[in-house]
Amino acid sequence: MSEASTQIRVALSRGGFALDIDAAWSERVAVIFGPSGSGKSTLLETLLGLVPAAHARVKLAGVWLDGPEPGVRLRPEQRRLGWVPQDARLFPHLTVEQNVRFAEARGDVAGGSAAFSRAIEALEIGDLLARRAHELSGGERQRVAIARALASGPRALLLDEPLASLDLPLRARVLRHLLRVRDELEIPLVWITHDPDEAQLAGDRVIVIEHGRVVASGPPREVLWSRAVLPLSEALGLENVIDARVASTGAHECSVETARGLRLVLPISLPVGERVCLGLRAHDVLVSADPPGRVSARNVLPARVTNVEIEGGDARVTLDAGEPLVAKLTAGAIERLALRPGSQVYALIKSQTLRRIA
Amino acid sequence: MTAGELAEITGLTLRVGAVATAAILPPAVALGLLFARRSFRGKSIAQALVALPMVLPPVAVGLALLLLLGQRGPLGGLWSRLGIEIVFTWWAAAIAAGVVGFPLLARASEQAFAAVDPSYERLARTLGLSPLQVFFRVTLPLARRGVLYGALFAFTRALGEFGATALVAGILPGRTETLALGIYSRVQLAEDGDALALCAASFALALAAMLLAEGWLGGGAASGTPGGERGRR
Repeated sequence: MSEASTQIRVALSRGGFALDIDAAWSERVAVIFGPSGSGKSTLLETLLGLVPAAHARVKLAGVWLDGPEPGVRLRPEQRRLGWVPQDARLFPHLTVEQNVRFAEARGDVAGGSAAFSRAIEALEIGDLLARRAHELSGGERQRVAIARALASGPRALLLDEPLASLDLPLRARVLRHLLRVRDELEIPLVWITHDPDEAQLAGDRVIVIEHGRVVASGPPREVLWSRAVLPLSEALGLENVIDARVASTGAHECSVETARGLRLVLPISLPVGERVCLGLRAHDVLVSADPPGRVSARNVLPARVTNVEIEGGDARVTLDAGEPLVAKLTAGAIERLALRPGSQVYALIKSQTLRRIA
Repeated sequence: MTAGELAEITGLTLRVGAVATAAILPPAVALGLLFARRSFRGKSIAQALVALPMVLPPVAVGLALLLLLGQRGPLGGLWSRLGIEIVFTWWAAAIAAGVVGFPLLARASEQAFAAVDPSYERLARTLGLSPLQVFFRVTLPLARRGVLYGALFAFTRALGEFGATALVAGILPGRTETLALGIYSRVQLAEDGDALALCAASFALALAAMLLAEGWLGGGAASGTPGGERGRR
């Protein structure tokens, strides 16, 4: 088995807070998920070399930044990590263009002006180049900060709660840009968030941190709704997050399709080809054991039960409907419908319950 | 007093002020940065010592400088062996003006640097800049209004310096006679007309410096806030 391209072993204590992280992964995009105060930002600053750790052994994107021998450590300016801080932190004395070109001062930016143009294009900030930070909206600032990190030719991009400071309409917009950057530029990403929807959508691997320690690590769907993490994600998040594109459209509705062929109808008209990320609460998914007759729900999806978890009077049923779906039912319903792994069922989803996240 | 003499005195005053300010700029700014960014043992004592020339009677500062720079003083002795005389030259006036202006610049720089959010500096490091590059590309530009304000104050303080300068440079017409010294000596000689002419020149310089400060720095607070950028376009 080949060694994980990212290995993090960090221990430090600071003002009564102890961080003790041990994690390894090989996925290109990793999400570090946890509530505020869990130590995510401190971990990020340690990866950046900005916080001295009592113990740090860090390999990121295949390159050792701290270690492997004890005491060996790269200075922040040697790490070549593209940091996007929570509140953008654009240099106020520079224009947008000077901000994005900032790293060029060091003279050896990989790709140079090609990296600059690519960043400008990917974040669609060509019209903003002459402006200064105080003349930008929050979403624009965040996009410039991402472009600045990208244009520095980083070996990995580190995003610290990139959407946290934005209100909802802006979030959706910046999230679309981020997903585009993620998919088009083949750069490793470490994406920090406290938002379970973002965590589900962003990465192939989620590392959950609580009280300075890793409590779970694995694929988003398995990890975020596991018993250990559920209390963290349930209060805030949508159990189902679906990434799709508009396949056809009408006057008042459109039909979207995921990469794996699941089709859903939405009650809005959108241009064909547009990317949509949808959120759906587990308790909004109805399960029918028989083919439903004439129902108002616009989405009736044949599915197979893959897992049933009963806790008290509640049950969580995981379905495979082309895409995995989580439904929340009562324990009594499970019994009445005799649901168990392998059962063929129909999932009913009212189109109004599908919420567009991005 | 001829117009030529007036121009000469004004020119000397400007030269003393400019040399003094230029000379103290690097060390005072460096010290301001040190005080703003580092905590160390004895920091408040160091800060108090740096502020001393600002609060001591200038004549006392002048006496200290005279003892230090005079032929029998530790520094003066060294220089005079090299054939350099400091005391009673315009260099002595510049040194006196620099010493008195130093705390103003160091203090203003310290406050300006303290107002710069260190997270910008950390960010610049991650973008590949060395600490020195970060200072010149981020810290100093963000603090420049405060630093310039301090430099301007030190300069205007130097233009008007009297007590320390009189002791260490004397009042030698054509050699060390600055505006402030000139006014005093003309009053002593009851040449009130000349004294008033020198006063008018001082007034003009001070006004020009203040107008410069208002126009150039927007007259605002000494910090690197983005609002201060508007005036530059």
